[in-house]
Amino acid sequence: MLAQRLSAPSAFRNLPAFLMMAIVLPLLAGCGYNTIPTAEENARAAWSEVLNQYQRRADLIPNLVETVKGYAAHEKDTLDAVVEARAKATQVTVTPETLKDPEAFKKFQDSQAGLTSALSRLLAVSERYPDLKANQNFLALQSQLEGTENRIAVARRDYIEAVRAYNTELRTFPGVIWASTLYRSAKPMETFTVADEVKKPPAVKF
Amino acid sequence: MRGLGSIERPKPLTPPLSQPKSDISDFGQFKVPNSGKPEFGWEREPTESVARPAANSPSLPSRRRSGVCLALVVVLTFFLALSAAALTFPTLSGRVVDEANILDAGTRTALTEKLAGLEAKTTDQLVVVTLKSLQGTSIEDFGYQLGRYWRVGQKGKNNGALLIVVPGERRVRIEVGYGLEATLTDAVSRLIIENAIIPRFRANDFPGGVTRGVDDIISVLTGDAEEWKQRAAKRPDTVSQSPSTQSDSIWSVIVLMLIVVGVVVLCAMLLGALCLQILSILALAGGRGSSSSGGFSGGGGSFGGGGASGRW
Repeated sequence: MLAQRLSAPSAFRNLPAFLMMAIVLPLLAGCGYNTIPTAEENARAAWSEVLNQYQRRADLIPNLVETVKGYAAHEKDTLDAVVEARAKATQVTVTPETLKDPEAFKKFQDSQAGLTSALSRLLAVSERYPDLKANQNFLALQSQLEGTENRIAVARRDYIEAVRAYNTELRTFPGVIWASTLYRSAKPMETFTVADEVKKPPAVKF
Repeated sequence: MRGLGSIERPKPLTPPLSQPKSDISDFGQFKVPNSGKPEFGWEREPTESVARPAANSPSLPSRRRSGVCLALVVVLTFFLALSAAALTFPTLSGRVVDEANILDAGTRTALTEKLAGLEAKTTDQLVVVTLKSLQGTSIEDFGYQLGRYWRVGQKGKNNGALLIVVPGERRVRIEVGYGLEATLTDAVSRLIIENAIIPRFRANDFPGGVTRGVDDIISVLTGDAEEWKQRAAKRPDTVSQSPSTQSDSIWSVIVLMLIVVGVVVLCAMLLGALCLQILSILALAGGRGSSSSGGFSGGGGSFGGGGASGRW
């Protein structure tokens, strides 16, 4: 029977190999072949959410600056610092390559940290103006900013977790095998540094 | 390793020297040669009673035992670390989880009714929870993790909300799920907290504060008649007598039963009687623990950190 198979026409000669592939490939999927792309897509989705929240914060700022300017016009320096920091933060372009490039990632992180500190200075300054603090618009903006800061923190934590899973998959068995053979272009992703994680927006007391 | 030599070791297991040669004793490299003489240093002569390591080679029992000890230590430390890092959340016993015991039974019943009515109307799940402590984290940090752990809100729509009160730390938070962030915005949550809840908490009226807060949240969520009509229309069953949660749970029970039957059949085919024994033990243990109270459970929703907090 083996001799028969060997002398079969060329179309059927590949049949054993084809059958082997049909059996082995689904097993490969079970062996973690899909895990690296899945983890990478998860991390990218988490990253989009982080960018979304940062963008939301950037969108709230012009409104806030206008409201504060109405009551605290002398605080021009602080207001200008916020506007400048916002411009710098929105200027940093983020591409999918930013995730794999430590330099670009650091630049993005620094620009957002700059905006955070400028905002906290502005909110601290606005404490000195009771009229401003009682203004309904300001209260609404302030609660929106606090909510956005919280959402940024949650999105960052989700991203860090997703990147941890992806980087771990690249380094542990069997991911390390797939990474060195079929997924050579998969590189570890950057993650946020711990120092920024513990930074909290200032609590504003009434 | 040298120090372990002073520990008195128990008598090791009888090596398969005395057993007749059969399939069971044929362990490959541990196969005893015909002469009956032990091949490895750890195999004892049947006459030896006191165990002593050979002078040059480290005896395997000590290495194996220290390996087991090390493994046990690592495993226990892992579980210890895990329990230390993770927060412990109260069980979702109903729509009002009063861990800090600040609400009386009448308030709890009234609130549960209102919250059940909200879910029946709009499928939004609002849960009131009072906590004894925040276990060292901030209420924002605790809030979204609790929401995700309980999976409050419908899966896909993420329309869950939590009203969290921590009287011991004097903090309150309205945690809003992804899907409700457009209606129950941060600003609105802040207004509810500042105007309805905190003044009453300052006067030590916890039931009043929580009730008023819940009323306000419900009025915000059901405020736009057009909008909640649209949301209600998206529900699969529009029968008013049996709420959709009941038919959902019946379906999930049926699916679960089919899965269990399938697993049992597969297992029986592959492993035989032993597997059935194991499964029956598991079923007995699991059946007793799976009783649901009141039929309320999270719908699979997630949270993203929206909402507002306040302190008094």
